[in-house]
Amino acid sequence: MAVFATLILDASNYVLILVLVALGLAIVFGLMNVINMAHGEFLMLGAYTVLVVENVGGSYWLGLILAPVVVGLIGLLIEEVVISRIYHRFLDTILATWGISLLLKQAIVLGFGPASFSVSTPLDTSVVLFGAPYPVLRLFIMAVSLVVVVFTFWLFFKTRFGLAARGVIANRDMASCLGINTRLLDRLTFSYGAALAGLAGAVLAPLISIDPQMGLGFLVPAFLSILVGGLGTITGPIIGAGLVGATDNLTATLFSPVWAQLVVFVAAIIVIRLFPRGLVYSRGREL
Amino acid sequence: MRKQTRRQFLGTSAAATATFAFPMPAILAAENITIGAVQPFSGGLELFGNQAKLGLELAMKEINDAGGIMGSKVEIKYEDNKTDPKTSVERTTSLIRRDNVLAISGPITSSARDAMTPMINRMKTPLLYATNYEGGACSRYLFGFNTVPNQELEKLVPAMFKNAGNSFYMFGADYVWPQKMFEAAEGLVTSMGGTVSGKEFTPFGVKEFAPVIRRIKDSGAKVLLFALPGADSITFIKQAEDFGLFEDVTVGFLGFAETYLGAFGEGKGQNMWVTVPFVASSKDAATVDFVSRIQAAAGKDVPISHYVMTHYNSLIAVKGALEKAGKIDRESLIDGMEGLTIKTPTGDTVIGAKDHHVTMNMFLAKTEGTGLATVEALGQLAPKAGCA
Repeated sequence: MAVFATLILDASNYVLILVLVALGLAIVFGLMNVINMAHGEFLMLGAYTVLVVENVGGSYWLGLILAPVVVGLIGLLIEEVVISRIYHRFLDTILATWGISLLLKQAIVLGFGPASFSVSTPLDTSVVLFGAPYPVLRLFIMAVSLVVVVFTFWLFFKTRFGLAARGVIANRDMASCLGINTRLLDRLTFSYGAALAGLAGAVLAPLISIDPQMGLGFLVPAFLSILVGGLGTITGPIIGAGLVGATDNLTATLFSPVWAQLVVFVAAIIVIRLFPRGLVYSRGREL
Repeated sequence: MRKQTRRQFLGTSAAATATFAFPMPAILAAENITIGAVQPFSGGLELFGNQAKLGLELAMKEINDAGGIMGSKVEIKYEDNKTDPKTSVERTTSLIRRDNVLAISGPITSSARDAMTPMINRMKTPLLYATNYEGGACSRYLFGFNTVPNQELEKLVPAMFKNAGNSFYMFGADYVWPQKMFEAAEGLVTSMGGTVSGKEFTPFGVKEFAPVIRRIKDSGAKVLLFALPGADSITFIKQAEDFGLFEDVTVGFLGFAETYLGAFGEGKGQNMWVTVPFVASSKDAATVDFVSRIQAAAGKDVPISHYVMTHYNSLIAVKGALEKAGKIDRESLIDGMEGLTIKTPTGDTVIGAKDHHVTMNMFLAKTEGTGLATVEALGQLAPKAGCA
């Protein structure tokens, strides 16, 4: 029983980490049709924000609050300068955001050097769960992820901003005719996606090595989650992340990490073949 | 652009013809010796490329300050291989063909080295490879200046037996170096009567190690032989620390370099055992002197790992070999290096006449505080390079 419980615990931990990373990407990719290859680097910027805050004497918690703000603002700038010019050229967004990703990575190499860093571990204790110690930090990350998911749903389904944003996605011209400022909504949505990546980076910072290449390891499973879950909705990527994360973690636990990667990719190919539009897809107007 | 007159054209072509018409003596005292360096300065392993450069730069400066090699100055032409095998081959080709280098220093990864080897052999240009690796790269044109598995493991495994226990778990990245390392380690462990309670590999770039950490914990192993290079290792150590793995498991860290220190965070990554050819914190006079020379050139804060020294050694060997051979060309360099003994910061190092790998002093050390502390000087260890 305890073995089964730790299995579930580890799997849900990884799933929630993946949800946290994939959500920002899903909003930008699924709702704005921009394939953001720089999402991993936004995450990296979030982690480096915490690093800088700690280096100038601030606490981890201050960094955690500042990271989404800083990365959100950077996202806003990038949207204004680059993304806003290529909304109608779907494939070009890949190229442009990939360029941005290289730019951000090299900027970090220039500013901080190529070496790995780490930040202090907040909540550096563990509680005994199912007969084995479990780091409190991981419980905190799970909580943050849940809060972010709930907040995002609330934002998109219960607020006027959400209503307008969904209106723009469903029919941009009609929304524009009805007096909705679509430019403003594009800006805010992209910036929100970037801020989520920044938050994810800050939350994960104590758990991983902080280096210029750190974004890639999350970008691939996050993209996979979206492809499996389906575009155009917020629920899709969450279900996708659940499947990808659980498959990965359970295979790694029962067999090995090498098999995990193999199984995840094969399963993803099968799902995409059987459900080309993803497991959950929007039929027209609903989100 | 200034227009060239016919007179000027005639003048320059006459001069050019004259240059070709009079054959140059084979050794021209004024001509520089160019060494090409194909190292990663971007693409993920720039940390190691920079370490290599520190050593090469110091060796070049010291050789030139002492009058060069038989009167010729040494210069190094650096090329960035972007941590990529294909780029490594392109850079190697252009260094040999266009810059006519005497030898190539580099690279870091085995995949880049294997990609470069056919070119090196075809162009008959020596490759000075100063990174620890899995062994088995044997050619007249390849010289290894760092360790092969037996040099790292022969003393580390017994030390782990003595200080931690006799049950081993092996965990590393899924490529050739960790696999060969563990193969060699498994032989050692079982021959000493120990047990291997698990052996597993992970792909690059994995960010979540909880399942592996639990498995290691449940296996009851006392020693973790760890061969995961780069940023992934920092991620693993951090997460394992959070799960309290190191309360009952002691790490034997393979492929360790001082560049990792500081990335684990304060008070983390303690009591990890390594065997390395160089410990920067050593109190030995020659090492202290070497460290201060590097620091004078690169600043106090730069970590100084064995990569700095092995790359330094490789250039010192070039000087020794050419002076021994008495002439400056590629084949003489190879003949000169075979069986050569060079003075290094950690004592004498002998280059094998047959296997082209080095016998050198090794040190047992462990991480302590913010540094690496020498536990025991192991003396000279000969390589089993697999060049039968």
